[in-house]
Amino acid sequence: MADRGDTASHGPPVIQVAGLYKHYGKIRALEGIDLEVPAGVTGLIGANGAGKTTFIRLLLGLIRPTYGEVSVFGTPVKDDPAGLRARIGYMPEGKCLPLDQTAADFVAYTAELAGIPSSESRRRASETLFLVGLHEERFRYLGDFSTGMQQRVKLAQSIVHDPELVLLDEPASGLDPEGRDQMLDLIGRFRRFGMNVLFSTHILDDIERTCDRVVMLEGGRLIHAAPLQPPGESGLVSVEVFGDPRPFMDVLIERGAVTTLEGGVVTVGNPSGDPYLLVREALEQSGSSVRRMGTNLSRLEDVLVSASRKADG
Amino acid sequence: MADSRTPPDGQAVIIDRGYRHYEGTRTGTGGAIRAIVREGFRRVIGLRRKAKRKLLPWALITLALASVVILVTISWAESQIPGPEEGLGLAPRYRGYFDFISVVALLFAAYAGAQLLVPDRTYGVLNVYFSRPLSLRNYLVAKLAAYATVILSFWLVPQVLLHLGLAALSGEGFLSYLGRTTGILWKVPAAALVYFILHASLSFLAASFINRVGGAASAFLAAALGLNLVALFFQDAVENTSGTRWAALLATEQHPRYVRDWIFGVHENARWIPAQAGFGPEVSLAVVIGLAAVCVMLVGWRYRRLA
Repeated sequence: MADRGDTASHGPPVIQVAGLYKHYGKIRALEGIDLEVPAGVTGLIGANGAGKTTFIRLLLGLIRPTYGEVSVFGTPVKDDPAGLRARIGYMPEGKCLPLDQTAADFVAYTAELAGIPSSESRRRASETLFLVGLHEERFRYLGDFSTGMQQRVKLAQSIVHDPELVLLDEPASGLDPEGRDQMLDLIGRFRRFGMNVLFSTHILDDIERTCDRVVMLEGGRLIHAAPLQPPGESGLVSVEVFGDPRPFMDVLIERGAVTTLEGGVVTVGNPSGDPYLLVREALEQSGSSVRRMGTNLSRLEDVLVSASRKADG
Repeated sequence: MADSRTPPDGQAVIIDRGYRHYEGTRTGTGGAIRAIVREGFRRVIGLRRKAKRKLLPWALITLALASVVILVTISWAESQIPGPEEGLGLAPRYRGYFDFISVVALLFAAYAGAQLLVPDRTYGVLNVYFSRPLSLRNYLVAKLAAYATVILSFWLVPQVLLHLGLAALSGEGFLSYLGRTTGILWKVPAAALVYFILHASLSFLAASFINRVGGAASAFLAAALGLNLVALFFQDAVENTSGTRWAALLATEQHPRYVRDWIFGVHENARWIPAQAGFGPEVSLAVVIGLAAVCVMLVGWRYRRLA
């Protein structure tokens, strides 16, 4: 049994894109993307219509770029799309399950489509459904599954053939909070299986919980691509309080904190220790109440908002 | 990758089986095509589906097989009556069997084509197919192969049973009968192939453009049978003019029958509309092939747009 080990953000890039344009007639879906995505779990974020799905379809070789080059694992997609697709798993955003088949039959079938022999496909389907928490239900018809269970089957079919790269298009869409948590936990485990993941979403929290890097598209343009710092590494805490934040900030400054205020959110750094201690004391002294507080959530949001504004000129 | 923890004695063991990587051989595009053919066959006859999905296909298959039993029984009864060596000709044999179950076969062909193409689109499974190492062309070839498997089986398995049944009843002996009728071994498959080409063309065309199984099957039946009526209408309305003569070629469902008679060396073809309009069987064969070519182009165009 081969063990590819944990994926990590080093080594040759998994995805390389140079001068990529994709136009559908007058619609410009992607505009001049230059990007290298290293190994690991990467979040692809953008609003609806930002070009995320088009980008994924280009990686799969399902559509051709208008201009530019797309390579996966160092191989141009146009040179060997079928060969590359055997090494890629894909979970579409929309419906993709035959409701009159059982989960076990469908997942085994998709393994066979990726070149796994028939007998081995059934075994792998069973194991993969166990992994996504559907072992007991594997012989039930997909039409009898809930939305959350169907999303898990979609995830199972994307990894049943042991891909090196998994492309997940809005995997948590349509799920309730508990289902979303379970889905993100599952995706987080892929790193340990040695799989690289490109995970498209429009929800920042999903990216922060799951990814090593973030890539942001807006209106078909790449506006941000960088590693995601783990929570706490920056030493900054973002706090949003009810009412006027200035009394809260004044106390923080008195106590030696470094603060900035942007869009109602106070970013707090403590050069001499834990910023949370300062925040707690300042909240108590100023009598302010917390609306929202976090380490990375607001920071990533700020980074992306700032990048978006910069792109807009 | 597996992670196990051994607890103190007497307690359960929790094993996380993790994820197992695959190091074996991969079957490539050939394996994917075989998987689609096998799955297509299962889908059409309702295997690994709920009971209600098995009803129609198995009812039609049962009718096809039951008709063989009926024909063999009639032949046996004929053999008990003193008369000509070849019997009284009450029971249709190989060529006649095509007509004997033509309605059942047409229904089965309509259902099979729709089942093979429509659910993949309506369920959105094409997204998964084309993320695998499979091209659009391979997908359509695999679906056609699945259709060929079910349709040719539907035609040929009863014919084989009929052949064996007639051989078993033959007064000249089982092996002598088989030896004397070797011509059947190419004539029946050749005729079935012509039927297959026409049915595959029309049913795939309908199933490519209509997103309901029932709708696609109905459209196929309308094209196969309705065009016969159109051809008849033109023939009856204005006889003996060159324009209406060509309208006889619209009788799509009759072309494979006319060609079948040609294959079996039967020349009493006055009942076929193309024959009445003065066309030879080779023209009917050309129409079937031409129609297939047009349908291939249209289906390909439709799926290129979808993909």
